[in-house]
Amino acid sequence: MKRLFASLLITTLACSAGSAFAKGDIEAGKAKAVVCQACHGADGNAGTDPQYPRLAGQYHDYIERALHEYKTGDRKNPIMAGFATTLTDEDIVNLAAYFSSLPTKLTDLHDHVQGD
Amino acid sequence: MTRAPLLAIALLFTTLPCLAAEKGDAAAGKTKVYTCSGCHGITGWKNAYPNYHVPKIAGQNYDYLINALTEYKKGERSHPTMRAQGESLSEQDIRDIATYLSSITP
Repeated sequence: MKRLFASLLITTLACSAGSAFAKGDIEAGKAKAVVCQACHGADGNAGTDPQYPRLAGQYHDYIERALHEYKTGDRKNPIMAGFATTLTDEDIVNLAAYFSSLPTKLTDLHDHVQGD
Repeated sequence: MTRAPLLAIALLFTTLPCLAAEKGDAAAGKTKVYTCSGCHGITGWKNAYPNYHVPKIAGQNYDYLINALTEYKKGERSHPTMRAQGESLSEQDIRDIATYLSSITP
């Protein structure tokens, strides 16, 4: 019983730890990301035109979600639909792994609320 | 005769910064992001069904934030919680929030 509990605990920990890191191939993502750079910047920080979001350091699974939504049309953006429809599921995972690995200018709102 | 064009140019240069900026009030935005922090203020917080991290929004670009919140407000972006939040915000609220969020550095 103890052994079962221990193995369950290890499996659970392994799953939750694994989900915090991108599963994709960063190098393959980098190669695929060349077209993205025109708007999102060479460093992924979209420093020239504020209409485009910064991607560098964003959570990989949020980037994956956004790309899938553009691909299916759940999220409507003519520019992104054009790119996302050409991507395979593997491309999306790799791109998300690459952008989430870059030095970021993003953070969460922890310590940034009135009263903190 | 030559004064009119000069005046027009002078006027253009004085009004340009106002037109370009048109931003909100960062201090007001800081109080208005209190609700946002319930999800976007917890490091590693995840959206349930489907399961993915709630995005980092502090430090994001101003115009993108304006567009995203406006799209949620109009129902053009589908996330139910964010749609409800968007509907509760005025255009001034959105400008204030975007001004504050885009001013944050990690």
